[in-house]
Amino acid sequence: MTNSIAEIEDSACIFITGSNTSACHPLIARRVFRAKEKGAKLIVADPRNIQLSRFADVAVTQRLGSDVAMLNGMMHIILKNGWQAQSYIEERTEEFEEFKAAVESYTPDKVEQIAGIAQNDLEKMAELYATNSPASILYAMGITQHTTGVDNVKSICNLAMLCGNVGVKSGGVNPLRGQNNVQGACDMGGLPNVFPAYQPVTVEANNEKFAKAWGKALPGKIGYTITDMVRAMIDGKLKALYVVGENPMLSDPDQHHLVKALEKLDLLICQDIFFTETAEKADVVFAAVSVAEKDGTYTNTERRCMKVNKAIDPIENTLNDWEIISKLSTAMGYEMNYESPEQIFDELTTVTPSYGGMTYERLGLDGLQWPCPNADHPGTQFLHKDQFTRGKGLFHAVEYLDPAEMPDEEYPYWLTTGRMFAHYHTGTMTRVSPHLDTEQKTGYVEINPEDAKTLGVNDGETVRLSTRRGETEIPARVSNKVVPGLLFVPFHFAESPANILTNSAFDPIAKIPEYKVCAVKIEKAA
Amino acid sequence: MQEQIREWLEQEKVDIFLGYKKIQGHPLPHCFTKDNLDETDDLIVGNARYSLEKMATKIAAEHPELKIGLLVRDCNQRALNVLYVWNQLRPDNIETISVNCCPSKLKEHGDCSYLEPEKAAPLKMMIGIDNNMDVEAAEEFGQEDRYKRWMYEFQKCLKCYGCRDICPVCFCKECSLEHTDLIATGSVPPEIPIFHLVRAVHMGGRCIDCGLCEDACPVDISLRLLYRKVNDIVSDVFDYKTGTSADQSPFNMLGEEVTLELKPI
Amino acid sequence: MDFKIIPSVCSYCGTGCGVLFQVMDGRLVDTLPMKTHPVNEGKLCIKGWNLHEHVVSDKRLTSPMLKKNGHLQEASWDDAIQTTVEKLKAIIEAHGPDSVGVLASAKITNEENYLVQKFARAVIGTNNVDHCARL
Repeated sequence: MTNSIAEIEDSACIFITGSNTSACHPLIARRVFRAKEKGAKLIVADPRNIQLSRFADVAVTQRLGSDVAMLNGMMHIILKNGWQAQSYIEERTEEFEEFKAAVESYTPDKVEQIAGIAQNDLEKMAELYATNSPASILYAMGITQHTTGVDNVKSICNLAMLCGNVGVKSGGVNPLRGQNNVQGACDMGGLPNVFPAYQPVTVEANNEKFAKAWGKALPGKIGYTITDMVRAMIDGKLKALYVVGENPMLSDPDQHHLVKALEKLDLLICQDIFFTETAEKADVVFAAVSVAEKDGTYTNTERRCMKVNKAIDPIENTLNDWEIISKLSTAMGYEMNYESPEQIFDELTTVTPSYGGMTYERLGLDGLQWPCPNADHPGTQFLHKDQFTRGKGLFHAVEYLDPAEMPDEEYPYWLTTGRMFAHYHTGTMTRVSPHLDTEQKTGYVEINPEDAKTLGVNDGETVRLSTRRGETEIPARVSNKVVPGLLFVPFHFAESPANILTNSAFDPIAKIPEYKVCAVKIEKAA
Repeated sequence: MQEQIREWLEQEKVDIFLGYKKIQGHPLPHCFTKDNLDETDDLIVGNARYSLEKMATKIAAEHPELKIGLLVRDCNQRALNVLYVWNQLRPDNIETISVNCCPSKLKEHGDCSYLEPEKAAPLKMMIGIDNNMDVEAAEEFGQEDRYKRWMYEFQKCLKCYGCRDICPVCFCKECSLEHTDLIATGSVPPEIPIFHLVRAVHMGGRCIDCGLCEDACPVDISLRLLYRKVNDIVSDVFDYKTGTSADQSPFNMLGEEVTLELKPI
Repeated sequence: MDFKIIPSVCSYCGTGCGVLFQVMDGRLVDTLPMKTHPVNEGKLCIKGWNLHEHVVSDKRLTSPMLKKNGHLQEASWDDAIQTTVEKLKAIIEAHGPDSVGVLASAKITNEENYLVQKFARAVIGTNNVDHCARL
């Protein structure tokens, strides 16, 4: 997030797209409800009728994967009416003209044809966003999990800059992180192209800096992303995989393809707190500890690095992840003799400039928001205040592209996937939690009452879903949350895995798979 | 007060004392014991409000003989009374030290304004139920308007169950809110208004108007007002003010064998 | 009798709500929202309120495991580490460091993620390190 969670309350307009905030980030939705009650305008654009849609000043259900068209359409209208923040654009941004030319053709009529958004709704969205300042945009995986994920994000940034909403309190471009430490994993360099704090591995100075800090020559070539890894496994180039605290068997697209890849490995190491579907396939399983048994830090979606405190001793014969890695490393011939997470933290802050001013003592219970470069720095509530990190904000000319797969005669329905409120990710932790299990015990597919009638399917009846990748049987939930022609499957449930169906086509830059769109066939199970 | 608590622990009048301590700038509930007597110097009252009595109930369930001391405001005391009535705590094992408290309908005077809800935002005033409103004012809305206002509030519900989970007098092992025959599971908002009304019904003669539910509600639903209304009914019918004494409640009095008359079926 | 309140952070999503763990006699018994936390101000969602439940689940892994004769069996830490290292070394020897991939995690701490990528880069000698942020 460029801005902070608490700031949302004081936005004059909140535009939510591709985020079922009240189900997936309830304590952020709280701020939205409060902003709305204080008088903020609320725009919700989501292919499903989500809880927040009921509270919106304008709510639309855009066709899956049509976000660039929708956003370009809004910006077309804003420009046509002269609602853009002209002086902000002139002072703080560049390449505006190219961008302006690109959105020229996205007339409300064209957008209606692509996205299925009524023209007057689009007009209202544009007007509300452009004429109520500061305006905040919240989005999540509904924007990013597309073959055009990067284009979608660029378009959102275009919109925010067009109305002067970046670098202002209660405005901003605010992606809501799905997992508790996605932000931290990225910040810490858990990525194939960058060291901690996004320092590229290809820049020689960075490489030298880390080589010196770690006392070892380091590779300068960009590595494989997770998506590349799967392909390299199939091609026989990747022989060993060490999976720490993830369950790709359920979280990766096109499960059949992944099983084939994992079976080709010579060594699969899995480190987890539960015996996951991925662990079942492993050669070695390391038993790690849970959140309550460890010290350390998480960095939340608003860049707030916070201290996690050990409440109980590790259960039975389990070890902290940092202890396992240290043991492994030492046995490999590279000594790691850390005595505590604090010692590791003190090391990482010396090579991670944005965390440079943090210590456990300073974090306290409130945490600190990066960048926090030195010991006197109070942390940063919102980014890009006086200028963008790169200097000038860059407009991008973005054209709409179709999703990789669209419904046809054989697979006539749209399928999208996501979370439901009582479960988390692959369900590893939440499905063993009695109260959460009580709330939702099985997977399900949401189907519109009209479609259910056509197919003769009643609520709770089992249906078969099939795509070009695979098929699964799953109970139907007849619901107005989905529009006719659209189906929704949550991905938490191993026995009816959404990702046996999803398309592994991915964004060429971010390598993020298109979980949010594919074509599917539905029939009553025999 | 710190000295008194120290004395109690030293003389084993209580085995533990539940109060508050400031940890890295935050007032947090803390369990003081004989083993760490010096910690009692750090005991604070402040305006922190956690349900110490719920912690006591949890501890007593596993250590029934333990003598527990705790800081109580008036609302904590009312909760304790209800917990005594319902056999969740034994009064003989509880020692209390009273501190300033919050205003409540069930108490005549209050001198701590910690619980005062913030001023309602404009939209909430217009279409919802202001958290500052009392039962009489809410009843002045016409029936249709009132229904719509409550439904607005309920629609915001995120089904966190926080109202139940934080409630000092919610101790049932099985909860009707999770009874699938009453309320369907698996979606937000939950089925409304049934979710909130089922809970409201169970609050009659149980709710001690501490306001912790409303304080824990992520979407500011006016829960306190709702439960006040149910308690008003109990008060009108049975002349019973919940939590004001540790005597039996009308609900278990009616169950006395001797009061039952045999009637032909 | 030992009763402790430990402040921490919920691990169920990227919001990062402040929680209080209640620990009785060394067992985690309950979760409460932290009232004065800047993110959640004393409120939690259904997952946060039940954060302790997965920790105390009897389905937790309680020991390292090694595949022997095609089946995963409980092993000692020394055995598990040693066997892994032998296999890893042989693979690196035969196919080079880029034949190894490491997946860090959006669910572990910053300290642990830092070590995972340090392990991939400095110990294995590859930049093949990624995590599930995309997924």
